[in-house]
Amino acid sequence: MNMRLMPKSFIYTALLLCSLAVLFPLLYTLSTSLMSEAESAVYPPPLLPEAINLSNFAKVIDTIPVLTFIGNSLIVSIAIMLGQIVTASLAAYAFAFLRFPGKTLLFSLFLATMMIPWEVIMIPNYLTVKSLNWLDTYQGLIVPFLATAFGTFLLRQTFLQLPKELFEAARVDGCGHVRTFLSMVLPLSIPGIATLGVYSFLNNWNMYLWPLLTTNRVEMRTVQIGIGMLQFEEMNSWNLILSGVLLLLLPSLLLLALGLKPLVRGITAGALKG
Amino acid sequence: MMMDNELSLPSPGHSLSAHASQSGESAAAAMRIAAKKTRSREIMLAYACLAPSLLIFGLFLFYPLLKSVYLSLFLTDPQGRVAEFVGLDNFKEILASEMFYTSFWNTLLFILLTVPTGIAAAILLAALTHNKLRGMKIFRFIFSLPMAVSVGTGSMIWMILYHPTLGILNYFLSLLGSQPIQWLTDPKWAMISVALMTIWMNLGFNYILMLSGMQGVSEDIYDSTKIDGSGPLRTFFRITMPLISPTLFFTSVVSVIGAFQAFGQINILTKGGPINSTNVMVFNIYQDAFVNFRFGIGSAQALILFAIILLLTVFQFKFVEKKVHYQ
Amino acid sequence: MKRFGKRSFALLLLSCFMLISAACSNTPAAGETTVAAGSKPAQDPVKVVWWHSMSGELGTVADKLISDFNATHQDIQVEGVFQGTYDESLNKLKASLGSKSGPTMIQVYEIGSRFMMDTKAIRPVQDFMDAEAYDISSLEPNIKNYYTFDGKLHSMPFNSSNPILYYNKDAFKAAGLDPENPPKTYEEVAEAAKALTKGGQTGASFAIYGWFMEQFLANQGAELLNNGNGRNSPATASQVNNAAAVKTLEWWKKMLDDKVLLNLGRKTDDTKKAFAAGQIAMTLDSTASLRGIVSAAEGKFEVGTAFLPKPADGGEGGVIIGGASLWMMNNKSEEEQQAAWEFMKYLAEPQTQAYWHVNTGYFPVTTKAYDEPLVKENLEKYPQFQTAVDQLHQTKANLATQGAVMGVFPEARQLTETAIEEVLNGQKTPQEALDKAAQEISSKIETYNKTVK
Repeated sequence: MNMRLMPKSFIYTALLLCSLAVLFPLLYTLSTSLMSEAESAVYPPPLLPEAINLSNFAKVIDTIPVLTFIGNSLIVSIAIMLGQIVTASLAAYAFAFLRFPGKTLLFSLFLATMMIPWEVIMIPNYLTVKSLNWLDTYQGLIVPFLATAFGTFLLRQTFLQLPKELFEAARVDGCGHVRTFLSMVLPLSIPGIATLGVYSFLNNWNMYLWPLLTTNRVEMRTVQIGIGMLQFEEMNSWNLILSGVLLLLLPSLLLLALGLKPLVRGITAGALKG
Repeated sequence: MMMDNELSLPSPGHSLSAHASQSGESAAAAMRIAAKKTRSREIMLAYACLAPSLLIFGLFLFYPLLKSVYLSLFLTDPQGRVAEFVGLDNFKEILASEMFYTSFWNTLLFILLTVPTGIAAAILLAALTHNKLRGMKIFRFIFSLPMAVSVGTGSMIWMILYHPTLGILNYFLSLLGSQPIQWLTDPKWAMISVALMTIWMNLGFNYILMLSGMQGVSEDIYDSTKIDGSGPLRTFFRITMPLISPTLFFTSVVSVIGAFQAFGQINILTKGGPINSTNVMVFNIYQDAFVNFRFGIGSAQALILFAIILLLTVFQFKFVEKKVHYQ
Repeated sequence: MKRFGKRSFALLLLSCFMLISAACSNTPAAGETTVAAGSKPAQDPVKVVWWHSMSGELGTVADKLISDFNATHQDIQVEGVFQGTYDESLNKLKASLGSKSGPTMIQVYEIGSRFMMDTKAIRPVQDFMDAEAYDISSLEPNIKNYYTFDGKLHSMPFNSSNPILYYNKDAFKAAGLDPENPPKTYEEVAEAAKALTKGGQTGASFAIYGWFMEQFLANQGAELLNNGNGRNSPATASQVNNAAAVKTLEWWKKMLDDKVLLNLGRKTDDTKKAFAAGQIAMTLDSTASLRGIVSAAEGKFEVGTAFLPKPADGGEGGVIIGGASLWMMNNKSEEEQQAAWEFMKYLAEPQTQAYWHVNTGYFPVTTKAYDEPLVKENLEKYPQFQTAVDQLHQTKANLATQGAVMGVFPEARQLTETAIEEVLNGQKTPQEALDKAAQEISSKIETYNKTVK
């Protein structure tokens, strides 16, 4: 609704209620991660810990090599993010500005890739990576994800929104495609590219099954596997699990805090306006 | 598909032919040759640009998909190797099995429960924060927070919230004087609970999309409605909604595809139960292929699912996109 | 137009490929494990890779066992790798078959035994035992029987558990029941549950877990599958719809209808938490949960343990062993297999098993472990464990208690769980639900048998 036409107090009340609802699971996580094991498993469930109990975090760091995992996840996520930006912007440029036979077909093919459930093709992919001798390597974790249909789709829309007059001028100047791409399209699309970057990073950060499947050595594993290592067949300690969850959430929360503005601006900059 | 509005930019081919019509005969011939050369270069360039993506897709998406087609015609042994050619028997078995239809309806139900509500919630929050009041930065951050949560961690948190006897949600209900709800163990509630968690988890991304869409709407339009004296609700449905329809369309396509593929939360929260009430297609495929080790039938189901998503997406582009208002 | 030449075209291509290859050419960190650092073994130690599914505290204990072994065996280097849940780990194993990327030995849950044999990628541990006349007389007979197929011990027992009835002694006192005389039969459990239900407390809750159903059947001497529970020859049909099962479900449903039992779903973690919080007074759980449950209830109430109940007129039987065992893969060098065998033997030693048992709650697989002081101390601290040991030792050895074997066990368990849910939710009668489950399981078995020759 057009909020400028409503009373401020109404808006703030609504915002506070909604924030509480959205935040509640995360606040609960924070609160429980500070509780002792006994506190986390009584009825009625306490909302706040009796005393701030940081030993859970120490215990988590003791049980799983959190720093190694975070380092690996950073390497993998950043590499995939950069790779996706390169492949997607190249492909998007072709779809937006170049004429070639089979364009519609290829674009449909790109979109179709979004529809293949990843769980389904995982085993054949595992076999491919294995035959390339890429198990337990960074390339095994990175290369299969270097292309993105979603990103191509997003950047194509961004490119199409760029002011046409600029390109006319460039053309008259005798500017070739490569120059146009590198010195005009890319710089002008920074917001859109940032959007793709943040989105891609968060997705990669959250991968679970693939890293579990393709890595055997602890030194190569990524953060989400850490969560699995905290679960215990016989009796789960909620406080411990949730403090692990919180530790592993921190980097992505940080990125979101830094990346939110370009994210919103990038999509606003016309990415989705055909 | 989306190609209708392609090529809004004059390409070199275009501008050249335009020039050619104005020039003399011989010059035109020379230009034509040059144009042809440029044209073939353009095509080469296009393919070169697509090559990296196509290479990756080919190796890690289409090749395994073709392998699935092959596997779907066989039974596999405990090592996962083909054991017996059965032709289309796997497909026949699936289409004849009750479970397939159960999982199909569950998937549709899941989409219905998560996509419209998820988008509506995102629109509401985006509308609430689309203004210049103080403190909006904080609220925007809060509403996009769930985006940082992965399926694994999100499910873990909700599993604890939903606990049948110690869970805090049931505690709140008891404070309100209500009977506890068996969130994940009552077949009537399980799907709703999984959907609720999914809506929360997807809220961050949907919210960001919607907010961006609204910020893209020019201020002038709002100013003119102000002068018209149009009420907030009216302005919203008459002006804002049509203007953000491209965003809405994009979000719904991505959400529907995402909902079809929802797996992690079901695997962690319910494992498809109780009484298969949350057994969606992807989960059923996972069960068949990776728990029961029947790649043949798992692959066959995957292909059926792929065909369904493909058809639905084509449908969305062909019919729904017509209603989308591009600026 | 001139500028758009081959050169720039090539440059563009080059730049894009360079970026990609730069992104992925990071070779893995060279950091081999640090153990070998200062030492000077004449030749490199033999490396053994062990895939396991031990997470959380169990994982820590498993790591301790490994490092102790490595410290005392200079020529062998065992590397333990957590591979996710039993299902995930088995999946990964299958994907690695036919290549060198798999482990030397792997921990597999008991219901994956038939499947492991059918992969033909394993070597029975009996081979190694025969070669050096390894004495297995002290192996717990019940456990040994489970993993013996065609007269051969196929895998090495490692972590074993049973279900027992846990009850709240304080609640028993408050309800006027004798806390030292827990219910033994279905009828007595139902009565006790009725007396225990009051205020915020419900009499009992059992997780909907296929394993419990299998145990209830064995406890009455009823077989789950035809062909001698699949042990005389591969099973072809499920018997989960037999009278023993129907009776069990009728009892379960009746208590639910009488509101003296709660349905808390499939997760034992949920019933356990409710029990520890005093919300239910009786529950079924694995012996491996004992430590966790007792410490969670500390300061709140005293935990009692009892045998798995059975109908007053039920046949003779007992419990089936649960847990997991260690399998040797047959595609590694003889030297590596021998090294892994050394590790397996180490894990089965009384001292190791004593440590394992005391810290995890799994049964020692060797009876000699009960002589270890560590175990004796533990039994003093947790007298409740004696029940579990007695239950195991009083189990009558027959085909029912030896445990069913089938290749589609994980799936059969799921179908059984669905049947229990259908009954508890009032959608079907016990007979109807179990008939349907039996029929479905039989058809899965039939398909499976087609693929194994």
